[in-house]
Amino acid sequence: MGDVIEDDERRLMSQTLRRLAEELDGTALSAALSAFGYSELLACQPREAVSTLFEALGSAGSMSAALQDVLVLPLREVLDAAGHNVVLPPIGARCAGSLLGDTVTVRGLVIGARPGAALLVPVTADGQTAWARVSDSGLLSTRMVHGLDPALAIAEVFSTGASVTVVSTGQQATALWDDVVAAGRRALGYQIVGAVATMIDLAVAHARDRMQFGRAIGSFQSVRNRLADAYVAREAAAAALELAWAADDEFLAAMLAKSLAGRAARIAAKQCQQVLAGIGFTAEHPFHRFLARALVLDSVLGSAAELPSAIGRYLISAKTIPRLVDL
Amino acid sequence: MQVHDFRARLVTWIDEYGEQLAAPLEDGSVTAQLDHQRRVQRMLFDHGWMRWGWPQAIGGFGGSSILRAVLGEELTSRALVHTTSWSMHEVLGPAVAQFGRPELVEEIFPRLLRGDEFWCQGFSEPDAGSDLGALRTTARLHHDGWLLNGEKLWTSWAHHASRCVVLARTGQSGSRGVSAFLVDMDSPGITASPLQTMAGVDEFCATSFVDVEVPGERLLGDVDGGWKVAQYILSCERGPIFWQRGAWLAHHLGKLLDSVPDEGAAALLGEAYQLLWAFRARSKRTQDRIARADLPGPEASVDKIMIAAADQALFDAARELMAGVIETDDTASGLVWRREWAYSRAATIYGGTSEIQNDIVATRLLGLPRSA
Repeated sequence: MGDVIEDDERRLMSQTLRRLAEELDGTALSAALSAFGYSELLACQPREAVSTLFEALGSAGSMSAALQDVLVLPLREVLDAAGHNVVLPPIGARCAGSLLGDTVTVRGLVIGARPGAALLVPVTADGQTAWARVSDSGLLSTRMVHGLDPALAIAEVFSTGASVTVVSTGQQATALWDDVVAAGRRALGYQIVGAVATMIDLAVAHARDRMQFGRAIGSFQSVRNRLADAYVAREAAAAALELAWAADDEFLAAMLAKSLAGRAARIAAKQCQQVLAGIGFTAEHPFHRFLARALVLDSVLGSAAELPSAIGRYLISAKTIPRLVDL
Repeated sequence: MQVHDFRARLVTWIDEYGEQLAAPLEDGSVTAQLDHQRRVQRMLFDHGWMRWGWPQAIGGFGGSSILRAVLGEELTSRALVHTTSWSMHEVLGPAVAQFGRPELVEEIFPRLLRGDEFWCQGFSEPDAGSDLGALRTTARLHHDGWLLNGEKLWTSWAHHASRCVVLARTGQSGSRGVSAFLVDMDSPGITASPLQTMAGVDEFCATSFVDVEVPGERLLGDVDGGWKVAQYILSCERGPIFWQRGAWLAHHLGKLLDSVPDEGAAALLGEAYQLLWAFRARSKRTQDRIARADLPGPEASVDKIMIAAADQALFDAARELMAGVIETDDTASGLVWRREWAYSRAATIYGGTSEIQNDIVATRLLGLPRSA
């Protein structure tokens, strides 16, 4: 009986999150999720909260401050970080600034920002990771990024010489950064996989409806192979995400899941775009929004081009091939 | 038996008997490989390991098919058996146990598990590869049994096998007129002619059947019900077999990691590992399904595509990173790498080509109209 109620509650929770992600976007969605108690749900059931919401965000093409809830969670108790925004490294970089004395040079991205919140910045100090708090985001310059995916509303923050408080250093700071990275990679992985699913749905619908040479183009083998390729890549990422929570090395498992999600994004972007052909290249067709979302998120916290090397270096230093999960 | 207890006890046993189990590296021939397989299987049977995961009625100790997957994994991940010879009993065993006459299965199944006999699979034909339903081998009623005529191709180890599961036409054209039989390979009229693979291994055969008499009780399932048997076999191939092959690949990735542990190798090692991990994550779900007797349908095509991708990525990486080994190393270890690399070339071909798997994904999982 208890299980039935739990299942019902879980189903209701999933339905609500999906509906919100489909109907709302941006600040309205953030407010609705806050009223729903998303950050509390995240604290007690992280797996359900992250997998359901982020996949829904990806497939609906919406965005909210929930990413900040996810990034802040590992820092909440240790750094008293509730309500903060976490600054992520710029695309291709490993940290979001450097510390000299008590002034910090910052250059990073805030994705899904809570307006006006204080910032936590992972920076390098003497070659090591440290965390700096910027109590007032007004101390930094901010540029709203238009970029490839304007709807994502990324804020680029930068400053040379802002006065900050160093809140964590040494092993603790490194461990916290690893936890933030793993949590962020899982969430972004789900969001990418959701966007990939929509890219595939759009391309499949087109392949079924679009007639050429007297038949649906989805009956041509080259079209079928492209879509199967995208589907299998998505399934690979989905399987890796599902087990990212059960693996005995969560950092490695999250890195693998994000890498495979980015790989799926790249494969689907290429294959689905080709199947959607002319119409998929127009601004009018929704395809490009999902392509942009998936590719931009692929680049955040390590892309499918960067992560395989990082995974390989991890294996080289571990000197073993981890099984990660057992039957 | 709980899975983790089984694994813990098995690993202890392997640690104790590992030296006796170890495969001879110097002789890479099929005969040596199968002799070793026979010896290991006999030891595993005598110590009970080989019997877990099979029903008690046919000589097993019961328990879930997960136990068989774990046994294969712990053996292949130490290269104590070769992944291909380990697959034999897993490919055909479950289907014969399911569709064979109970008296027959009770008699022969323990012999299969003990390694006393090997079985082979007579499906493909010269004109029926991906289009298996076009097969032309016939089985005609003859006294109380059947008379088989036709030609099979790519029958692995037919020249070493005691029995063969043969698909033959008993009715109308197409897949609905096909029946399955368990045929003794020493029956008069069967000739198995080995073909060399590109790795120089005489692993598979062209096998001809000329007026081969097959007793009536050797029919598997129903007359004209052979397609169901074939589908069952293909589903089972995605079970413990895939799990142990994944472990075999992981073992080789480990060997590669040991031989080229430098930064320049990181990208290719990472790429191979992530594809292998994606397969393992996917396959875990499939193993759990099979253990619940919920056989995978079209979803298993995804597993097949994924393991083939991981297989080829791994051995492509090996060729790239161990400069010259695949091309010019004639030592025993070089031969092993070359043979495994060559075998990986067929990963997208055997057991249902990637084209067929993609077609299944497109039609059954994506809902695209059937191809023209």
